[in-house]
Amino acid sequence: MSADEHFRLLSNTAQGDQAAFSRLYELTSARLLAVSLQILGSRDLAEDALQDAFVKIWHNAGEYQRSKGEVLAWMISIVRYRAIDMIRSAKSRKESSSDETPEGVCDDYSPDQALAVDREKAAIDDCMHSHLDKQQQNVIELAYFKGFTHSEIVTQTQHPLGSVKSWIRRGLKLLQRCIER
Amino acid sequence: MNYLTEERMNALSAEYALGSLQGPARMRFKKLLLSHTQLRHCVWRWEAYLGKLAEAIPGEAPSPKVWPRIEKRLNFSAQDYAQSSRAAEVVSFAEHTQKQKTPKPSIRWTLVAAVAASFFAVALAFLLNPLPPAEPREVAIVQSSQAEALWLIELTAERLHVQVAPSLKPISDKDYELWMLAPDGRAPVSLGVLPKTGRMELARHPLFDEMKIAMIAVSLEPLGGSPSGSPTEVLYTAELVTL
Repeated sequence: MSADEHFRLLSNTAQGDQAAFSRLYELTSARLLAVSLQILGSRDLAEDALQDAFVKIWHNAGEYQRSKGEVLAWMISIVRYRAIDMIRSAKSRKESSSDETPEGVCDDYSPDQALAVDREKAAIDDCMHSHLDKQQQNVIELAYFKGFTHSEIVTQTQHPLGSVKSWIRRGLKLLQRCIER
Repeated sequence: MNYLTEERMNALSAEYALGSLQGPARMRFKKLLLSHTQLRHCVWRWEAYLGKLAEAIPGEAPSPKVWPRIEKRLNFSAQDYAQSSRAAEVVSFAEHTQKQKTPKPSIRWTLVAAVAASFFAVALAFLLNPLPPAEPREVAIVQSSQAEALWLIELTAERLHVQVAPSLKPISDKDYELWMLAPDGRAPVSLGVLPKTGRMELARHPLFDEMKIAMIAVSLEPLGGSPSGSPTEVLYTAELVTL
């Protein structure tokens, strides 16, 4: 799938071309759903986030600029932020009402397992594995793929908050240095 | 501002894009994003980096019920699809005929007639059709130096409606971008790339609710919009008038 094709379809979408938007959905919705599913765990919730994301993409297509990165990365960030908002709002409701897990949200998922599946050898992947230590990789993956907050990472990993924050900060710096070199 | 030293800006942008910046800090950061172009660029850079991680995840096809729900929320209709397809056909027909070095006279005249007819139709649509059915609040007409209307822009409670006027002669390898000029002297804020034909809706920028925006500007940009986040070449400015 070429980035140029995504760009062409998004440009046409910005002009109100519904057929182009439909094609863009066909080409990208599986990727976006996978991202949303990793964070939300539940297919129903993930598809709700996907819907919200595509409605936003339709309305904001005209605001996309190439300086925002590739179209797919821009679309992924839209669905990720929506999924993160949803999971945090579900968690805050849970904390204020009961200790039950929100319906459909599962906690038995391991980001490492999902990451291991047929991953493309993207530059960032190489950077993640060649420049970051295991702990830095793990906390960044928990934050990115599961939308975990610092305190949730502390609970998950049983490491002190200070260490988690420092691993994230240091890991991101190393990642940036590697990508930009 | 000390809060936004380059290193701090980079670190906050990274944690925002990662998702680990949370609670009130995330809200404060979102507000800062509205007014700091450099900060937005920093976030975009991180979104692009981290987006690559997600691109590598194997896809998961959504169930067939999702797309109809999106269509419903966006009020898509079969008629609109037909219009989209017809527009695409006209473009491919034009592209096809451009490739022929010397079109036959009959084809040439058919083309001229088609272009004239579509010009007339767009002009009629612009003059006769009402704008989208939302309560009008503020309007601006972007005009050329010869005082020809190029875009009609209407700001309603939720959206920015844009309609292209027939006088606009689009440049195929350039885009036009709309900017708001805030009275507090901050850098122009992008509202999005403008359409070259037809109509489009853009989101109402939150800054419209924070301060009175009296002026907008249109710049000429490479395809896709400003590469720097600032207007490349400002072509026109227009006043937003409250109705």
